[in-house]
Amino acid sequence: MCGIVGYAGRRNALPILLDGLKRLEYRGYDSAGVAIVGDSLQVVKDKGFIANLEAQLPAMTGSTGVAHTRWATHGAPSKVNAHPHVDCTGKIALAHNGIIENYAALREKLEARGHKFESQTDTESLVHLIESYYDGDLEEATRKALHDVRGSYAILAVHAGEPGKVVGARNESPLVVGVGPDENFLASDVPALLRYTDRVLYVMDGEMVVITPKGVTIKNIEGKAVRREPQRITWSLEDAEKGGFEHFMLKEIHESPKAIHDTLLGRLANLEVNGFLSEGVTSVKLVACGTSYHAAMIGKYIIEEIARIPASAELASEYRYSQGPSDRPLVILITQSGETADTLGAAREARRRGCKTVGITNILGSSLSREVDVTLYTRAGIEIAVAGTKTFIAQLVVLYLIALKMGQDRATLGYDELDRLKDQLRSLPRAAQYMLNKAEEIRALAKKYGNARDIFYIGRHANFPVALEGALKLKEISYIHAEAYAAGELKHGPLALVTPSTPVIAVAVHDPTYEKMRSNIGEVSAREAPVLAIGTEGDKELPRFVDDVIEIPEIPWIFSPVPVSVALQLFAYEVARMHGCPIDKPRNLAKSVTVE
Amino acid sequence: MKALILAAGEGARMGPFTASVPKVMIPVGNRPLLEYVVQALVENGVRDLVLVVGYRRERIQSHFQDGKAFHARISYVTQTKQLGTAHAVWEARPHMEERFLVLNGSNMVDSRFVEDLLASRDKPAVLITQSERPRSYGVVTVRGKALVGITEKPTEVISNLINTGAYALDQRIFDEIERLAKEGKHDLPSAVSALAQRTEVEAIRTEGTWVDALYPWDLLRLNATALKGAHEVRAGTIEPAVTIRGRVSIGDGCVIRSGAYLLGPLALGPGCEIGPNAVLLPSTSLGKNVRIGAHTTVANSILMDDVILGPACVVQDGVVGSGVVAKAGLLAASGSGDVQIEGEWHTVAQLGALIGEDVEIGNGVSVTPGTVINERARVESGARLRGTIPSGAVVL
Repeated sequence: MCGIVGYAGRRNALPILLDGLKRLEYRGYDSAGVAIVGDSLQVVKDKGFIANLEAQLPAMTGSTGVAHTRWATHGAPSKVNAHPHVDCTGKIALAHNGIIENYAALREKLEARGHKFESQTDTESLVHLIESYYDGDLEEATRKALHDVRGSYAILAVHAGEPGKVVGARNESPLVVGVGPDENFLASDVPALLRYTDRVLYVMDGEMVVITPKGVTIKNIEGKAVRREPQRITWSLEDAEKGGFEHFMLKEIHESPKAIHDTLLGRLANLEVNGFLSEGVTSVKLVACGTSYHAAMIGKYIIEEIARIPASAELASEYRYSQGPSDRPLVILITQSGETADTLGAAREARRRGCKTVGITNILGSSLSREVDVTLYTRAGIEIAVAGTKTFIAQLVVLYLIALKMGQDRATLGYDELDRLKDQLRSLPRAAQYMLNKAEEIRALAKKYGNARDIFYIGRHANFPVALEGALKLKEISYIHAEAYAAGELKHGPLALVTPSTPVIAVAVHDPTYEKMRSNIGEVSAREAPVLAIGTEGDKELPRFVDDVIEIPEIPWIFSPVPVSVALQLFAYEVARMHGCPIDKPRNLAKSVTVE
Repeated sequence: MKALILAAGEGARMGPFTASVPKVMIPVGNRPLLEYVVQALVENGVRDLVLVVGYRRERIQSHFQDGKAFHARISYVTQTKQLGTAHAVWEARPHMEERFLVLNGSNMVDSRFVEDLLASRDKPAVLITQSERPRSYGVVTVRGKALVGITEKPTEVISNLINTGAYALDQRIFDEIERLAKEGKHDLPSAVSALAQRTEVEAIRTEGTWVDALYPWDLLRLNATALKGAHEVRAGTIEPAVTIRGRVSIGDGCVIRSGAYLLGPLALGPGCEIGPNAVLLPSTSLGKNVRIGAHTTVANSILMDDVILGPACVVQDGVVGSGVVAKAGLLAASGSGDVQIEGEWHTVAQLGALIGEDVEIGNGVSVTPGTVINERARVESGARLRGTIPSGAVVL
């Protein structure tokens, strides 16, 4: 299978053709080529990916052209066999998808008449055949040539002497026309056109089409005109890339089990967290911004609990401008993009202070890796939604690995405890999946609680930063005012804001602060605030104190931030969706903050 | 040409293995069933795929995404009500051009199978094959090469030729579907039978592979078939004194400890850890991130992602769902067993245990052949199990 694209318009054809080819790369990518009609006919082609072709293209100007991406099913991909093919005069170029069955006989006849062939392809016969019929009208010559041809094809042809015109034809291979103002397109498939127009015409078997900047004419092979109205395509290019999900954010939340798997891959059995620096480390400082800062705050609890090393978290924008104390903590810098300006600044500052530095980022080769001693990658895959979800989960996984490694190196953990913790870490993808299976339940709760003007989140210990992150997600994408508090701080002020119209989301899983959390829930329900709790499966007590519970599976509390975060991400998503917010691109926000 | 793949069903007869995944996503040979269909189509140049999804569609969508990783372009149509296969095709109507293929996503097929279907050229066609248990399927009657009709699950023997559920169709099928829907019939075989009354529908007997899994133990047969044809990769860390024979695939990041004995065909997904002196026997698949304890033996079984088996366990002819954790000394050996699925009893000659996702098993538990432990059950140490353990149950 191959992909073809044609353009006739006012713009420079080259970038449009290349972009179209990339959208068709799924149809094949072992060789590619373009032909452009400017002052003369220019053809460039090569084997390999389209990017390969792009890298070696000379400047080609002209606003008419055709292009081809090939998937060689028979014969080797090579430069000579790549399309478009050119006739003896170098004036006609042809891109073809399909098979010409009687090419051998045609070739013999044409060679006898003195035509010179360069390639082994069936397509080349057709271009010479068109040449043999050419008498100043490409359309007519193509029509005559097709009468002699048997096989399946979608073809696009241009002639140096007829700029502004692309001739196409279809028989058993797909061809669509994209209709624009002052420009028209031809392609094997709709995605190649969607960036430029949403109006398309389908060419049917046995039909020919001619596009010029001004118009589109479709005729049958006998030359009789066919009338056809354009259809409007209602799906966008983005829809295709979202793989059936309504938003990138939802797609990415559903990718968290995979992100955990990939992040653990090959690191767990022997704790191969490459070249890690735990030697002589007496304390750890975690530095980051935004969502990554919440991961850093959770990291403090993880490292203290598992590795028994004092740890603290600080905002990168504050750390940079603070006075350095005399000790030299190991500094862990966390940024999804690896380009966050304040975090990069903090990395430089840490090095200036003589600290060893570790970076955690999702992007290979990002700036952070050049600013730190060791880089650990979260292998979450690309994240498109502005609100970070799977990358946040993957950051936590790397922090668990760091804590285990430090515990092993410093022998604060016995091998029995290490094995137990490793098995629990292996089970984390399941814990995330367990929450994803509750998506419908969470949607119903979002409907119930999501109409409030203000929502409060409370949590303690490792789940306090989880509450902060839950509130941040809700603010970012649903524009509802949300605040998170360490539950013990309620009485010191925030309780004054709690009323029957301010729902409270309380993280009350089985952890060392569970009893305390229950008293805090009592404080807010005494003010008649509706309470949605995140609790542990099998907790019979909690439902009696709160209005609703989202249950996480029973896992050791130090790992609970993972399922709780997935639940809060889904909750924020469902609230924003209910309000019809632009979830993937919230107002005023950008994916990575590269300014200070 | 576009292909429509039906993947909306739950597959209730698969017992605990479809508790949170649709049938098409059950792994055999470490790949979901649906991947075999997608691959067979792509190998025949059919890359424009429309998946009709419904039950737990997120699992399918997050695996296949836009199809790029599978050299295809995949779009999704959600079937909101699981009325029937004809209804599923109807829902995908706006995506279909004049002629298209329809395949069932939960059958394991090969490239040859799709090639046979494509050979139909321009007539509507159905692919048929011979079956040992025709009564479980739609039996076809043919006149020469033309289809006469399809009889669903006949009570008496008509023939052993059955419908594989793979069709080449054109726009005319929509008229039949629309008409039958008014009579309350929503299955595609009825619509194709009706079409055969009006125009010739070719019945093509396929020479390719078509394997269907009706019940969980059928998965073991599919798994063995898949492993025989699987591509062999060797990655990860293999400690000294490990024995590996036959076709053994070891994924990225695996660690195989000393003394382990691995006989192919086997497939180990990425990130597995095989403990010292563990024995893995044919034909076994281990999903991603599986840990096998020291001295544990696994034979002819499917262990899905994130399974942990402690030391000294025995698992034979078993299917173990994602996230199952068993402590030391689980005994789930093979034998002849009676299994109840959806209220019906089946006697299976060689079967171990069928264990659903996230089941937790304590130390020294023994399981009678043919026992079904449904998802999320918790079994305390020392228990002896038989029959069917309900989902979420606690066994003391």
